[in-house]
Amino acid sequence: MNEFEWRRQMRDLRQPLMPQRDLWAGIDAALDDDSQLARLPRPATSAVSLPKHRQRWLLAGSLAASLLLVGSFGWHLLQAPTATPVARANPAPATWKPDDPRLAGAAIELDAARMELQLAIRQSPDSPALRRLLDRTELQQIQLRQLAKQAG
Amino acid sequence: MSPASTRANDTDDVRAAAAGDRHAFQRLYRLHAGRVHGAVYRLAGYDHARAEDLTQDAFIRAWQKLPGFRHESAFGTWLYRLAINVALMDIRARSADPVSMLDDDHLPEAGETPFCAAERDELERAIGQLPPRARAVLVLHDIEGWRHEDISSELGMAVGTSKAQLHRARGLLRKILGESS
Repeated sequence: MNEFEWRRQMRDLRQPLMPQRDLWAGIDAALDDDSQLARLPRPATSAVSLPKHRQRWLLAGSLAASLLLVGSFGWHLLQAPTATPVARANPAPATWKPDDPRLAGAAIELDAARMELQLAIRQSPDSPALRRLLDRTELQQIQLRQLAKQAG
Repeated sequence: MSPASTRANDTDDVRAAAAGDRHAFQRLYRLHAGRVHGAVYRLAGYDHARAEDLTQDAFIRAWQKLPGFRHESAFGTWLYRLAINVALMDIRARSADPVSMLDDDHLPEAGETPFCAAERDELERAIGQLPPRARAVLVLHDIEGWRHEDISSELGMAVGTSKAQLHRARGLLRKILGESS
């Protein structure tokens, strides 16, 4: 094949192509999020924007990681005896809030993390990493309840 | 509708969208989605799902940047360049992903079908198998009609590197398609 024929064939590939599904609904929803975010102060350095499912995944991961720190801090703060083994099948109710202000913040954050993880799992249901994070977060909620009980 | 009236409507919608009119932006989406998605789809290696993500990202960024649009070029051209940029950033971000890389050593066996008999789909599939950066250069130069100077600027490489990547991409493509030349 000569150069001319090659170029002609390649240029023939330059065709408009509509997406297989209508993307407008997703764009519209993202613009809603964007207009809500616009009311908040933006960080000084704007990172490369990631697709929404990746953003949610990263957010859930970072929340869960930070909660590990909060949980262990609360644990040492109260110097409570080692908790008894907990029943994995009974995660703490979502609306529970301890009286102790030191634990209340952790309870809210854990609950937010759990909801973020549940949303992320809805988008990536086959992700074992997300499942592990959710299990861990629910376990921390249970441990937090035990801590609150021991603290009186 | 004549091209002139299309351009006039486009300009009205661009101004309205820049002022926050979501319906005007939706009309712009409907008008330009085909061109944008086509280019992004080729750069994404003919991967529908990824191309749709990138097209969506491109329109979201366009909305964010619209207030800064100076009308120095046609909106369609500005949007097209922005979308290409989004796709190239994705390629840069994935450049370390070994799954999407294809080395000369890992090429599929050359088939019996000569290139001249290859169907359009076959050609697209072959382009989709190229390494991301080589594919980007090939798509931008041979399909989209860009000059090496523009490609090298967008991809952050020397002009000579762009030419070398194009040469490599064409060679790989011919090999994938089974042409012996």
